[in-house]
Amino acid sequence: MAVSPLVDGLPNPAARAVSSPLKNAAPAQASSNGTPVPAVAPNATAAVQSAALDLSEQMNEDEKRKYIKGKKLGEGTYANVYLGQVRNDPSQLVAIKKIKINKEYTEGMSPDAVREIKHLQELDHPNIIKLHTVFSSKDQNLNLVLEFLPLGDLEILIKDTANVHYGVADTKAWMGMLTRAVWFCHENFVLHRDIKPNNLLIAADGEVKLADFGLARSFSDPYRPMTSNVITRWYRPPELLFGARHYSAAVDVWSVGLVFAELVMRAPYLAGNTELEQIELICKGVGTPTEENWPGVTKLPEYTISNQITPVLGKDHYNALFGTVGNEGVDLLMKTLILDPRKRITARDMLKHPWWHKDPKPTRKKELPRKSGGEGEEKVGADLKRRPGVVDEDKTNKVARKLDFGGPL
Amino acid sequence: MATEDARYRQSSQYRLWSFTTGHLASLRNECNSLAQKAISARLQSASPNDALPEFLTPAEELSLVTHYTVELLPRRCLHRATDRDTRHRRHLLAPLLRHQQHYDLPPTELLKTCLFFGCKAEGHYMRLSKFADKFPNTTGEEVLAAEYVLSQGIRFAFDVRHPFRALEGAIMELRRLGDFENKRIDRAHGKAREILKFSPLVTDAYFHYTPSQIMLAALAMADEGLVERMLREAFAAQGDAAKEKCGDLVQACRAMLEKEPPEKMNDNEERKSIIKPLNRKLKKCRDPDRVDLVALQKARREQAMVKKPKVPVKEDGAVFGGSIADGRESKRRKTETEE
Repeated sequence: MAVSPLVDGLPNPAARAVSSPLKNAAPAQASSNGTPVPAVAPNATAAVQSAALDLSEQMNEDEKRKYIKGKKLGEGTYANVYLGQVRNDPSQLVAIKKIKINKEYTEGMSPDAVREIKHLQELDHPNIIKLHTVFSSKDQNLNLVLEFLPLGDLEILIKDTANVHYGVADTKAWMGMLTRAVWFCHENFVLHRDIKPNNLLIAADGEVKLADFGLARSFSDPYRPMTSNVITRWYRPPELLFGARHYSAAVDVWSVGLVFAELVMRAPYLAGNTELEQIELICKGVGTPTEENWPGVTKLPEYTISNQITPVLGKDHYNALFGTVGNEGVDLLMKTLILDPRKRITARDMLKHPWWHKDPKPTRKKELPRKSGGEGEEKVGADLKRRPGVVDEDKTNKVARKLDFGGPL
Repeated sequence: MATEDARYRQSSQYRLWSFTTGHLASLRNECNSLAQKAISARLQSASPNDALPEFLTPAEELSLVTHYTVELLPRRCLHRATDRDTRHRRHLLAPLLRHQQHYDLPPTELLKTCLFFGCKAEGHYMRLSKFADKFPNTTGEEVLAAEYVLSQGIRFAFDVRHPFRALEGAIMELRRLGDFENKRIDRAHGKAREILKFSPLVTDAYFHYTPSQIMLAALAMADEGLVERMLREAFAAQGDAAKEKCGDLVQACRAMLEKEPPEKMNDNEERKSIIKPLNRKLKKCRDPDRVDLVALQKARREQAMVKKPKVPVKEDGAVFGGSIADGRESKRRKTETEE
C-alpha cells in the first residue's frame, strides 16, 4: 500500500503560486532560532493553504480519498463512529472511528489511539476486527477505518433473554471464535487487556470479532513493570486486583473464562461495584487466593482478603451453575478460572481441550442466533466509540475510569 | 500458525518498510525532486528575479539524516533508554530517509518528536514537560508539533521488530549447545549488542533485512565461528543449499553493517566536516513556509476551524441516498435522549 509511489501528478506549482503569495502574509512569527533569515518570509498559512503536499501528506490524502464518510453511528467522549463506504465500490461498508482530541490530555496523540493502531496494524485474523487504514483529517483528528460489523455484540445477545434464545452449540461456536482470537493475539505477543462481551462484535455473517485494542500492549520484557489498572472490573483477574506489575497472557484467559460463564448464565458471573467487592466476589465464587493455592500471592502489593476464607470451589459448584455445557465444558471453564495465573490454562491449550470435539458440535456461524432490526448497528457505534476499560453498568455510572498515564503501561 | 517467516511477512515492517535497493533509491530520488519542484515554485513566486538556490542531492540528504541520527544516539542516557528505544528512534527516522522531508522540516526538531513519540509508542509515558526540559530551548509545543507529520510519514505503523530479543535467544542457544567457552560467548554477546545499537541504525539494514538476519550479521562481526555453528544447527535438517542461501544473506548484511562499525560513533570530526557545508546548503534551499513547525501546526488547526462549516457532508451523504439521511435524524435524536 505505501509501497506504491502514490503521487499521480506532481503538485501543481501554478496552483501553489496562486494561493501562496504574500498578500495575506501573516507577520513572520517564525522563530528565527539562529537560522539566517530566509530570503522569503516564512508563511505557515501559505504552506497549509497551498495545494502542494509533501509525499506523506499526499499518501494520507490518498488513503482518505478511498472512503466516503456517511452517517454517524455513535458519538462518545472518546470517539465518534461513522458509517463509511469504499469510494470505488460503494457496496463495501466500513466503520470510521474518529478519535476526538481530548483537551485535558496535553501530551499529543492519545495513548489509547496509539495502542489501538499499533496492534491492529499487525493483527490479521478472521476473529479480530480488521483495521483497513488510518488517516488524519485536516483538523488533525485520527480516523481509523475499521471493518463494519453490523450485528451488534455478544452483550446484546446475552442480555435479551426475551427474544434471543441460544444453546450450548451456539455458546461453543462463539467461545471457539473468541478463543482463537485471543490465541492469535498471544501468539503475536499482544495482551488485549479488555476482553468482555461488548468488545466482541458480530459480523454480517455471524463471525465474532474481538475489537477495541485501546488497552492492548505487547508482552513486557523481563523485569519491566506494567500497570495493573487494566481490564474492565468484572472481567479483571485476581492478580491485577492485587496490583501485580508483572503479569502474563493469563490475564486475558481469566476474562475469557468470565465471558464463557456469562454466556451460560446470561448475566455477569462476578459483577462487583468496587475493586474490593470484586475481590470479595472472586473469593466467594471461585475461592480465596492463599499461599496454599497460589504461592507468592500474599506478597502482591495490594493483597487484601476478608477473614472468611472460602476454599477453592470444586466441580459440584460449577456443575450446579454451568452444568448445561457438559462435563468437559465445566472442566474448561474451571481451568480458565484457576486463581494462580501460572497454573491457569493458556489460550493455546484451551484450543486443544476435548470440549470442542464433544457433542453438540459448534453451530455453523450462519445459523447462529442473531438480533433482528437495526439495534446492532447502533450498538456497534456505541461499542467503538467507548473509552476502553470502562464498565457500562447499565449506563448508570458513566464516569470513565481514569488511567494513570504517568506510570509505565 | 504459519512459520515465523510467514508471520513476519504479515507485519507492517515487512509490508510497508521493506524495499529492494533499487526501489529505495528511486523513492529517495522522487522525494527529492518533489521537494525541489515545490520549493522552487514557492521561492519564484515570492521573488521571481532571484536565482534559485542549489538544492541538496538525495545522497547529500542521506548524509544529513545519518549525521542527525548519530547526534541523537548519545542522548540515550537521558531517557532511561533501552535497546528498544534506540531502535525506535531509527524506525521513526524512516520517513526522513524515505521521504526526505528535511527540505521541509528542520531535522533537529523532528528528531525530538521522533524520540518522544517513540517512547510513547513503546509504552513509556514520559511527561511532555519533563521531556522538553532535557533539551536546551525546547518547549513541549515544539516537540508535539510534528507528531502528526511523523505518524503520517510512517503510515501509522508503530510496531517495530528488532534484533535484540533475537540476540538473547541466540546466546541462550549457544550456551545450550555447549561447544564454546562461556567467556567467548559473553564477549561476542557484548560486542554484538554494541554493533546492534549503532550500525543497523545508521545504515539501510532495517529496510533490506529481517531482524534475525541483522542479528546474525552482527554476531558474525563479533565472532564468525558462533554464527557458523548456529547455522549448522538450524539447517541440519534442510541441507546445504538452504544453509548457504541464509549464510550469503547474513554476509551481505554484515558487509552493510561493517561500513558503519560502532567505533565510528565517536568519529565526530570527520562527520562534522562533511555536514557543515551540507547544512549551509540546506538553510538556503529549505521550504520557507515549513521551517516553523509550531506555526505550521497552528495554521493547520485554524484552517480546519474555518473550513468546518462547509465540510462536504452533504456531498458524501448524498451517496447514501436521501432515505438513509432521514432515518439518521430520528436515530440520532433517539440516542441523544437515551444518553
